[in-house]
Amino acid sequence: MTTSSPPASAAVAVAHPSPIAVPASGAEAIVQVLADEGVEVIFGYSGGAILPVYDAVFRHNALHPREDGGESMPLVVPANEQGAGFMAAGYARASGKVGVAIVTSGPGATNMVTPVRDSMADSIPLVVICGQVGTASIGSDAFQEAPVSNIMGACAKHVFLVTDAAQLEATVRTAFTLARSGRPGPVVVDVPKDVQNAAIDWHGSGELLLGGYRSRLRTVEQASLSDTDCAAFFAALAQARRPLIYAGGGVIAAEASTALRDFVDAFGLPVTTTLMGLGAFDTADPRALHMLGMHGTAYANYAVEDCDFVLALGARFDDRVAGVPDRFAPGAKFIAQIDIDPAEIGKVKRVDWHHVGPLTRALERLTAYGRAHAIAPQLSAWHAHVAGLKRTHAMDYDRASALIQPYAVIEALNRHTQGRAIISTGVGQHQMWAAQYFDFRAPRHWLTSGSMGTMGFGLPAAIGAQFAHPGKLVIDIDGDASIRMNIGELETVTTYGLPLKVVVLNNSGDGMVRQWQRLYFKGRFAGSDKSLHKKDFVLAAQADGFAWARRLDQPAALEATVADFLAFAGPAFLEVVIDPDAGVYPMVGPGASYAQMITGDFIASRKAAAVDEGATSHMF
Amino acid sequence: MNHTLSILLQNEAGALVRVAGLFAARGYNIDTLTVGPTHDPSVSRLVLTVQCDEAGLGRIMQQTRKLVDVLQVAHPAAALAA
Repeated sequence: MTTSSPPASAAVAVAHPSPIAVPASGAEAIVQVLADEGVEVIFGYSGGAILPVYDAVFRHNALHPREDGGESMPLVVPANEQGAGFMAAGYARASGKVGVAIVTSGPGATNMVTPVRDSMADSIPLVVICGQVGTASIGSDAFQEAPVSNIMGACAKHVFLVTDAAQLEATVRTAFTLARSGRPGPVVVDVPKDVQNAAIDWHGSGELLLGGYRSRLRTVEQASLSDTDCAAFFAALAQARRPLIYAGGGVIAAEASTALRDFVDAFGLPVTTTLMGLGAFDTADPRALHMLGMHGTAYANYAVEDCDFVLALGARFDDRVAGVPDRFAPGAKFIAQIDIDPAEIGKVKRVDWHHVGPLTRALERLTAYGRAHAIAPQLSAWHAHVAGLKRTHAMDYDRASALIQPYAVIEALNRHTQGRAIISTGVGQHQMWAAQYFDFRAPRHWLTSGSMGTMGFGLPAAIGAQFAHPGKLVIDIDGDASIRMNIGELETVTTYGLPLKVVVLNNSGDGMVRQWQRLYFKGRFAGSDKSLHKKDFVLAAQADGFAWARRLDQPAALEATVADFLAFAGPAFLEVVIDPDAGVYPMVGPGASYAQMITGDFIASRKAAAVDEGATSHMF
Repeated sequence: MNHTLSILLQNEAGALVRVAGLFAARGYNIDTLTVGPTHDPSVSRLVLTVQCDEAGLGRIMQQTRKLVDVLQVAHPAAALAA
């Protein structure tokens, strides 16, 4: 955002900025806390009310160059503050560290609302520093003023409005603790400009008290499974013939994938994951059922129908998984749930056994207890059943079509990446195809806006991930509509010379919306058809400096083009003109149970489910 | 059913708004609300009444406990009955 015209006297710039030794101002304290917290990169957009902090970052970087001469805390500047927020979120998702964004007051802060809410909904740790008008001007409808603590308070894990400069250092440090502890989330620190400029006494340590939060956190972090808890769990498991693990994003947030694999090695339960849980368990493992839910694999959803025991790990039975909670896993006689958030236990579905605590420790404890008691469930019949489901109801599509099928594009990319690339997405059909057809061998390789479903997430998130992992292959799988939302960030890719790969699956509009309109609104494509839109994506990418930018519209050229695209050393942009009528299958419609899943023409269904064409649905 | 909740919260700017906002955002209507000081000037007591069923009450109490400023959430009638 631009600053207001400064008075002439303010135009006299400081020629040789003084480096920060011991932080002496609020702005310097903020930057020093970021450095102490190990922040490697800041995403943000400058503006009037945050200028002191930006200047302090500049001086910090001048004083503390990296060994290779680079900046120790580079500022990455997006086209729009929303881009900075999603870059920070992509960085956090790919690295497991706290992502940091710094923006100015007013529009800078309000443009940050969507990434903050998105990160809250997906439990992603962020610290967002917002400039604010001076304390004397708050509430006066000042230039670029917005009630950030009110707005962000409704969608962040917490927001601080710092009006006392003496509290600033401890507040920023506390923001990091809040963001990463318990169930992670975004924390916003709103800092009036006079507080940034105020003289402070630097302490170098110390956080805010937050007695309530810390005492609840301690209870959760110290919780452990007693022998009685473990015995009850394994007694129920011993009764089960068809037990299933339902793993969510909490497994990834808790860094519990290894503990999960050890548990599965010990007791043999097959694993299905949510959209957010992809990568928590190697999808290439024979015991993996890939994703469940509205667009989960048919075999995962049938396994949920058939199972008699569910172990939910860091998963919350949300409406994309348990659209009708009463009919989710109808044969399950026992549901066990482990989560870090007490509010998620039994929130949607009543559970028979639960534990609130750190997931890694809980799984390690269960595994040790079960091994010590020589518990070895006999699941060979269930394993054979699951293998049969995977064979009979395998993912498939129209392989004879004359049009490029989006699934084939993902399969071609996957043949090269083998589950080792970091994949980000926008939201819609392309997101679901990527979730379904890529392999995910390890956590933090799948970056997607799961709960909020924010179109425009993919490109900035991929940029953030590339900063977290400069040497890794990062691919943004996007849609023509999703990428339009933050297409300004194409220029950010080339500005910073990132070797990012951008794929746009172009079906001339909002494909997922059209799919629902076809199913539930008799094919009236209100607002979702973009076939008359004029954008030439390849020219747009070239204009933003992509040396490799091509359009693919011939199925025969798919393999060679994908190989060439991925082999290019720098930023590359590939638009693929796909079958505009390609659908996402399977689909468990809104308000339907898994038994009523539609599998389309190419995936075997247990029975032809009747689609209630044209029925109005209040579900979403 | 009508329930009375007693909430202790840190006397920070915006803390009241966050409690009230949480109830509104999750579809609970606050019928009455009183805020007053406690013997500790940094802590306020908020007493509110809300109409909801038992399951809903449990959920909103758990969500309220997630607010960073909140020190304690009590349902005195349930505590008396117990």
